[in-house]
Amino acid sequence: MRGITKRFPGVVANEQVDFEAMQGEIHALLGENGAGKSTLSNILTGLYRPDEGEILVNGKPVTFHSPRDAIAAGIGMVHQHFRLAASFTVAENLVLGHRDAADRGFLLEPGMIEGRVTELARRYRMPVDPGARVWQLSVGEQQRVEILKALYRGARILILDEPTSLLTPQESENLFETLRLMGAEGRTVIFISHKLEEVMAVSSRVTVLRRGRVVGSVLTAGTNPRDLARMMVGRDVVFTQKKEGPAQAEREVILQLRGASALGDLGTVALRDVDLSVHAGEIVGVAGVAGNGQRELAEVITGMRRLTAGTVVVGGKPMRVGDPLAAIRRGVSHVPEDRMGTGVAPSLSIADNLVLKAYRRAPISTQGFLHAGRIRTNAIDLIRRFNITAPGPQTPTRLLSGGNVQKVLLARELSSRPRILVAASPTRGLDVAATDSVRALLLEAAAGGVGILLISEDLDEILALADRIAVIYRGHIMGVVERQNASVEDLGLMMAGAA
Amino acid sequence: MNNTLVVVIAASAVFYGTPLLFASLGELLAERSGVLNLGVEGMMLVGAVSGFWAVQTVGGPGWLSLLTAVAVAALAAAATSLIHAFLTVTLRASQIVSGLALTIFAGASGLSSYIGHVANLGGKPAHHEFDAIDLFGLKDAPVIGPILFHQNALTYASWVLVGLALLYLYRTRPGLHLRAVGESPATADAMGVNVTAYRYIHTMVGGALAGVGGAFFSLAITPFWLDGMTSGAGWIAIALVIFAFWRPELALVGAYLFGAFSSLAFTLQTRQVHLPPEVFSSLPYLMTIVVLVLVSTGWGRRRLGAPAALGVPYIREER
Amino acid sequence: MIRIERRLTDAGWLLVAVPVGSLVGAVILSSVILLATGHDPLGTWQRLLDRGFLSEGAMSATLVQATPLLLTGLAATAAFRMQTWNIGAEGQLYLGAVGASGVGIALGSQPAIVVIPAMVLAGLLFGAAWAAIPGALRAVFRTNEIITSLMLNYVAGLLITYLIFDSHSYWRELSTFTSRVFPQGKYLSPAAAWPSLQIAGIAIPFGFLLGMVAAASLWLLYRSTRFGFEARVIGDSRAAAHYAGIRTRRMIVAVMALSGAFAGLGGAAEIGDFRHVLDPRGLQQASFGYGGIVVAALARLNPFAVILVALLLGGLSNGGFSLQGADFPAGLVGTLQGLILFCALAGELLVRYRIRVQRPRSSSVRPPEVAARPA
Repeated sequence: MRGITKRFPGVVANEQVDFEAMQGEIHALLGENGAGKSTLSNILTGLYRPDEGEILVNGKPVTFHSPRDAIAAGIGMVHQHFRLAASFTVAENLVLGHRDAADRGFLLEPGMIEGRVTELARRYRMPVDPGARVWQLSVGEQQRVEILKALYRGARILILDEPTSLLTPQESENLFETLRLMGAEGRTVIFISHKLEEVMAVSSRVTVLRRGRVVGSVLTAGTNPRDLARMMVGRDVVFTQKKEGPAQAEREVILQLRGASALGDLGTVALRDVDLSVHAGEIVGVAGVAGNGQRELAEVITGMRRLTAGTVVVGGKPMRVGDPLAAIRRGVSHVPEDRMGTGVAPSLSIADNLVLKAYRRAPISTQGFLHAGRIRTNAIDLIRRFNITAPGPQTPTRLLSGGNVQKVLLARELSSRPRILVAASPTRGLDVAATDSVRALLLEAAAGGVGILLISEDLDEILALADRIAVIYRGHIMGVVERQNASVEDLGLMMAGAA
Repeated sequence: MNNTLVVVIAASAVFYGTPLLFASLGELLAERSGVLNLGVEGMMLVGAVSGFWAVQTVGGPGWLSLLTAVAVAALAAAATSLIHAFLTVTLRASQIVSGLALTIFAGASGLSSYIGHVANLGGKPAHHEFDAIDLFGLKDAPVIGPILFHQNALTYASWVLVGLALLYLYRTRPGLHLRAVGESPATADAMGVNVTAYRYIHTMVGGALAGVGGAFFSLAITPFWLDGMTSGAGWIAIALVIFAFWRPELALVGAYLFGAFSSLAFTLQTRQVHLPPEVFSSLPYLMTIVVLVLVSTGWGRRRLGAPAALGVPYIREER
Repeated sequence: MIRIERRLTDAGWLLVAVPVGSLVGAVILSSVILLATGHDPLGTWQRLLDRGFLSEGAMSATLVQATPLLLTGLAATAAFRMQTWNIGAEGQLYLGAVGASGVGIALGSQPAIVVIPAMVLAGLLFGAAWAAIPGALRAVFRTNEIITSLMLNYVAGLLITYLIFDSHSYWRELSTFTSRVFPQGKYLSPAAAWPSLQIAGIAIPFGFLLGMVAAASLWLLYRSTRFGFEARVIGDSRAAAHYAGIRTRRMIVAVMALSGAFAGLGGAAEIGDFRHVLDPRGLQQASFGYGGIVVAALARLNPFAVILVALLLGGLSNGGFSLQGADFPAGLVGTLQGLILFCALAGELLVRYRIRVQRPRSSSVRPPEVAARPA
């Protein structure tokens, strides 16, 4: 790729990017969130069209008008958010849009297709049932389907966007094996990541992107994580870390779940007999692979989901479950996983979103009427205190960057003086600076006596912030360990269900 | 035996259900591509008036005239649905408002009435109409004769259509693509399926079938033209798609169920059941509400079968 | 190549330009239809403008038509703002008319000061109750309110037909021989006729004044009350509303009832200002409920803009009614209304997105020394 430039309204996502990958190599594309990695890969797969620049495959310039062209040129992509139709079978997902000599008929032949899928899966040691519906599969299995899909199309160049973000450490290791196998077969693997360790572990060459530009391209053997980090961020990175605090034992237990069970959206059991407690001033991390009941856990505590059994005890008294208002009144704050859409009302102004919960109390409203002046003063105050970068309090919240939306959320949730904060994936998708300020806010709140339940799929984050770590697997807590005694290997095994 | 109440109602349920079946099959295909078109009522009326116009205008033998009329009805309604496709797929307008606009534009006091007025179609009987055909000479077979073998050509065609729709959706490549476009357009797009084309085509197929359903009113049920003659059938067809969990075979069941409600009014009155006619006439509407409530509780609550991307515009290049 | 980009800031001038442009666009498009069917568009529009606004007494007649449109427009605005799709204003208006005429007949001997407030109240309550049905079904069973509210329009239409044509109901006139053969409703006493305000020779009906008060109240409600705040949050994101502890179900029923109350008031005004009798055919022909959707959409759900748009469309239907026949083909009003909506929807795109026309520049610069590397 030469001189690729791509602009979006208000931002230049890629600027004069040159990128090359050789046959059979595993080439890492490193950069922090928002550096333009995904944009670049979307251009390479024909989803976006570059404003400037050109793409060459095997030395020949190509123009991709649509994903179909990129597929025809042998480029396959495994997106971070899987592009799978959840209600379809594995086989149906594989043949979607596909045409080659053996498989191009107007009519579908399920038997033939499933046979080919099984064979392909065996060859790459990625076992999967071709007749299973995608929504029934675990995240790791879904990723296998994504990779098989690309291979089924005969991809010679495979792009993986943050492929390990949803896997256990052990599953990641298996994935790396598969990738090496593909490299040995002469396929090119482009591995997009912001995690230094895995880039060092799997790739043979690294290209680093920063703010849409290429900073440099180096051989993995000739570099080290520290240099890469400096290239990626432009300065040395020291993330905010939890300092060893005093023992938690004598502190008051502020949140307790007793035998909590709940159903998921599809009516299946999502939480099974969960026992968990959080002390005042403590951060309890909940680690686990995505989709193991984390969202339901957060929703049960914050009243957004009903319990089928058990109780949630807040400050010693059982809470009325299935009632978000009761949770709000009991001082349970919530930073939900889905920020835009659940955590904020996207089209309402920042000022309105900052009073999304406080609007029903004085001084924001009295006798059913809102006080516009007080809403505005509140907004100006919080925007300043929490360093929110915004044109003004009346700006619609959807126009803010991800980091600033998260600050709006935290500003609202922390300014209400909560006793408990449930934070779900609070730094997902944020750049380094925003991640750091969110972490600092969480630590500050804990120091102020708030009990925090930090639910995250990012094990590094949990290890950096939590006092105790609970591991969730299929809706059940596999165990709780003190941070000092935790090892990545043990946690990984628990995340995979091995108690 | 073929004169018993049950058989008579069943036979006329199939008859009155046929336009509902056409319209709901069409809406089903459109919704499977992710496009909710609330303009069915308007498109049916355009089909009804243009089909009627064609029958009055095109000469030749009756079968040719009727065939032309059905084609004209389908084309006219498909053209009407093109407006909806353009507004919602290309311009990403709200599907709900656009569909309502389509009904107002084409509906009882809109374009269909205008066409009826300028072409002076009102108050005259159709030159030709769809008559019941004695299929395989079995119309007098006990019970099933009147129900299955003494219907008109459009009803027979609708059965073929249900079979074709099933085959298309579940056994063909374009059908797979269609389901993917409605389920997860981003996935379909990434796999090289042209989301826009699929949505346009199926919205227009939906329009065409609604048009045929409308023509059934003006060429079979009441063979003359009257403003707003479909009286809500288009809306019932939309409800039927929900009732049918977006599956063609269940749309057939639902259409005949509602055909039965429509026919009940006529049948019971001729049998000297004395109740105000409004009670019978409101039956299809009230039953639509009842059925929707039943479907939206219990197992239906999980929206089994609803295309996940229904009503959501697909925008590729947005961050 | 045409690119559609999301606007990062609101362009204020478009908020006025789009509705005006929609009207112009709709007039041009319907002129094409008129031309294609052998009518003279210019003459048609001229007659319409004349009968709707300019000629002797036209404004007064237009205001009478605009009153129910104003109230059904507010009904749609109240509901649509919360993304609750009450399209049953038509039926709610009929019910309001039933309630108002019933009370008007019952209190016929009372003075106006008693009858008129009672009619207003009855209209509000009957409309609200009818709309609360789909609202409650939505809240309790999550049943799609679009279809249920619409189905109830047909039921309401049949109900008023039944009251006058097929029963010996309280609303039906049965005292004379002719009225027993040719069914009609009981006429209300003069005390039940709503007053009007005379300004510069134009009669402003009482119902229209009520509508203006209603518009201001709705504006205030959405802008500066807790109720309005909750409705705005629900309208923007149901998930966020649930998260914030808002009682979404109660709000749905409440907003549907509010919306229905406006439509019911429209029905009461139609009786009190204009018809003074429950007239099923006349009410159904006018289709004010559907017109209200057009009004609300063109006003972009702004209550004050609803007043202006209702006047405009009221003039249109007034002109249309008085011209009906060869001069002004039936169905043209609906066609024009539909086209206005289409144009408004297309214009909405301009408000939300920026359209840029650009030439692709990709492959113009290609260095000759391309090193052919195997990929």
